Amino acid sequence: MRRWLIAGLVVLFTACTTAAPSPGASASGSKVGGTVTFAAITDPETLDLHQTSNPVASTIFGYIYEPLVYQDLDNSYKGLLAESWTVSPDNKTITFTLRKGITFTDGSPFNAAAVKFTYERLQRVGAKSPIFETFKSVAKMDAPNDSTFVLSLTEPYAPIFHDLATSYAGILSPSTVQAAGDKIDRAAVGTGEYKLKDWQTGQLVTLERNDKFDHAPAFYKNRGAPFIQQVRYKVIPDPATQLAALEAGEVDALGLQAKDVAKYGADKRFAIYDSFTYGLTYLGFDAARPPFNDAKLRTALSRAVNKDEIVQTVFGGTLAKIACCPIAPSIQGYDEKLKQYELKYDVAAAKSGLDAIGYKAGADGMRTKPDGTAFKPVLYTTTSSDHTKISTLIQAQFKAVGVDLQVKQLESAALLAATPKAEHDLYLNGYSWNEPDMFSLFLSCDRVKTSNRVLFCDQTLEAMIKAGRTELDQTKRMQIYFDAQKYTMQQAPWQPLYMPVSKTAVVARIADLRQGQAGGLLWHDAYVK
Amino acid sequence: MLAIPVLLGVSVGVFLMIAFIPGDPATALAGDTASPDAIARIRVELGLDQPLPVQYLRFLERLAHGSLGTSIRTHRDVTVEILDRLPYTLELAFAAVLISTTLGVSLGVIAAVNRGRTPDLVTMGIAMVGLSVPTFFLALIGIVVFSLRLHWLPVTGAATLGSLVLPAVSLSLHSAAVKARITRSSMLEILGQDYLRTARAKGLRERAVIWRHALKNALIPVSTIVGLQFGSLLGGAFIIETIFGWPGVGLLSVQAIFNRDFPVIQGTVLLVAVAYLVTNLLVDLLYAWLDPRIRYA
Repeated sequence: MRRWLIAGLVVLFTACTTAAPSPGASASGSKVGGTVTFAAITDPETLDLHQTSNPVASTIFGYIYEPLVYQDLDNSYKGLLAESWTVSPDNKTITFTLRKGITFTDGSPFNAAAVKFTYERLQRVGAKSPIFETFKSVAKMDAPNDSTFVLSLTEPYAPIFHDLATSYAGILSPSTVQAAGDKIDRAAVGTGEYKLKDWQTGQLVTLERNDKFDHAPAFYKNRGAPFIQQVRYKVIPDPATQLAALEAGEVDALGLQAKDVAKYGADKRFAIYDSFTYGLTYLGFDAARPPFNDAKLRTALSRAVNKDEIVQTVFGGTLAKIACCPIAPSIQGYDEKLKQYELKYDVAAAKSGLDAIGYKAGADGMRTKPDGTAFKPVLYTTTSSDHTKISTLIQAQFKAVGVDLQVKQLESAALLAATPKAEHDLYLNGYSWNEPDMFSLFLSCDRVKTSNRVLFCDQTLEAMIKAGRTELDQTKRMQIYFDAQKYTMQQAPWQPLYMPVSKTAVVARIADLRQGQAGGLLWHDAYVK
Repeated sequence: MLAIPVLLGVSVGVFLMIAFIPGDPATALAGDTASPDAIARIRVELGLDQPLPVQYLRFLERLAHGSLGTSIRTHRDVTVEILDRLPYTLELAFAAVLISTTLGVSLGVIAAVNRGRTPDLVTMGIAMVGLSVPTFFLALIGIVVFSLRLHWLPVTGAATLGSLVLPAVSLSLHSAAVKARITRSSMLEILGQDYLRTARAKGLRERAVIWRHALKNALIPVSTIVGLQFGSLLGGAFIIETIFGWPGVGLLSVQAIFNRDFPVIQGTVLLVAVAYLVTNLLVDLLYAWLDPRIRYA
């Protein structure tokens, strides 16, 4: 009796389960239509672009809001909501001419007043925004008429275009913001290619095509509204489940892990697309206190690191590319000629370097400090599975030169709080910043209490950082960063390890998807077959 | 009622615990690239620059006005955040309790009635597996078999009744095993008792003897477990929710802890405390119904 009941229930549930999303409406040759579903590791929490740095949120509001400029495939900056601009001779004033005839999806007009309103709000409430610091160097802003916006800086600031091109610099509709009483966590209205259609908290965010959109960046073939009708982000917190969802057709595209690349590469249901990332993972040395305030110790131990083994073992040789230098290959400022200064893997050199500064091996093969006390440096890193594997490899590599490395893994909030206190000796993590001025964030003196997690403060480098930040001549600027990188590689607060490479599996029914230079896939041209 | 002091005690306890966890909401919120100035500003915005007792008093003040505060991350009322997820947690909790109780009790009765024979060994074997295999492992197997191979059930989400099956079943197996064993030992104790012999002598069918007379008394220890299980599930089932993307209170609480979102942490802990208090009350009432000898003044 019970058996029939169970069978009946199973049949009932089968009938109730939803079928896979219906394919794109490619009726009569139109490319418009269809739904593409992505996986998101967390709920976006808020779509207020001034009050978050959550990457899921910024991906989603990147569809809704548009900034004034965008970065082209050759790394130069072009106008998006701005048509063009001029820079004053003293490099402190930028006058933007804005595009005309654009409206927000709430019907109100896009104009200079909206730009001024947006950036003033950022200055007021944007402490959590990654570009909050940018607007500290803004002396004043003017909107003399609807299509002119003037930005006056306290001093020349070369990274301004990078900051203005991020999704965090998107322009708000003043009427929506005012109507929402300045609470725009869920009221997201912009000029972008998609509008927010629905948000089931913790489950699904649905975006709908903005059919009035008409000014996509020039590197797209389709300059108008996107073809894909709906974009959805499904919240799936577990990576294994995300993969199962891809298999089951509940998700249409997913970044792959090394172990799955071969399998999905051969699978006819999917196409694999590569893209670089704007980031770099490094092994850092806490330069604030003994023992790693000694550059000779840092350089000696740097030579014990076998980057090739890390890339092969953890990333299958495919999902990472060895990095020589502090600036990743995908970022402006990278220069092949710097490779000669890389502290390459050389066990003999590491050993002799350690011997030379008094770190001699004892009877058990493990080295002690020059004063004879035990040398057990501690590495702090995140709890991610990649970092777990990498730190295990580094532990073994250090053991091979007689150094007993301890590893401590902390969850994100605890790690962010621990590093400013210089509790750690080594630090394994990555940065993601598409501008050579990343030096200001990660290696400068005034960030020693926060984002400079190796607490490296050096006046020579500091002068170069300041010069690079205020130099607007491209050639001169790149020379400054060449010198800065060379100096940094010689001082070795970082041993750069690898630049992550992304491989995304996308269902075969998506056509015309191209790989961008870096930073992602060009979805704007794609359509559902 | 003791409830109020207990809840107050819990809220103070949570408040103090949060104060001692490394990392504060300001650094967590500010992200990796923030400047010292930005972090300081956020701290002031959140009122974290105030001394602890002041912060706690502010919390009590809000509570007195019926508000659990605002989430630091989403800027929505904590009450709204919890209420958005509570229906899903309730659904999962009810389903898991129902499945585990039905399954566990049935298996336990079969085992007890057939003591020493094959059905007993088989059912207790199943119970052993249910107790030993980790929940997440069963969940992943469930996904592979029922979603990917058979395509009977969806992998993620909470959209349909079908999406409830795998999470609820995965969640219930361990508890079903516990209930099966307890039911079995409880039933064995009772089956030898005189009043059942009397019932049989009166001509009652064996089925009625077991399911109506014996089981009712055997359920008393089981109901304690049901109460505990239900109370704990109301706090969410984090692992299952993570694996299946089930939008319940569990994910909310754990995410809040990682984010150091204090108002949400306090809200969810209070919710769990209230849930336990309420379910324990219900279990006490259930006792009275099951065993007429138990009466409350």
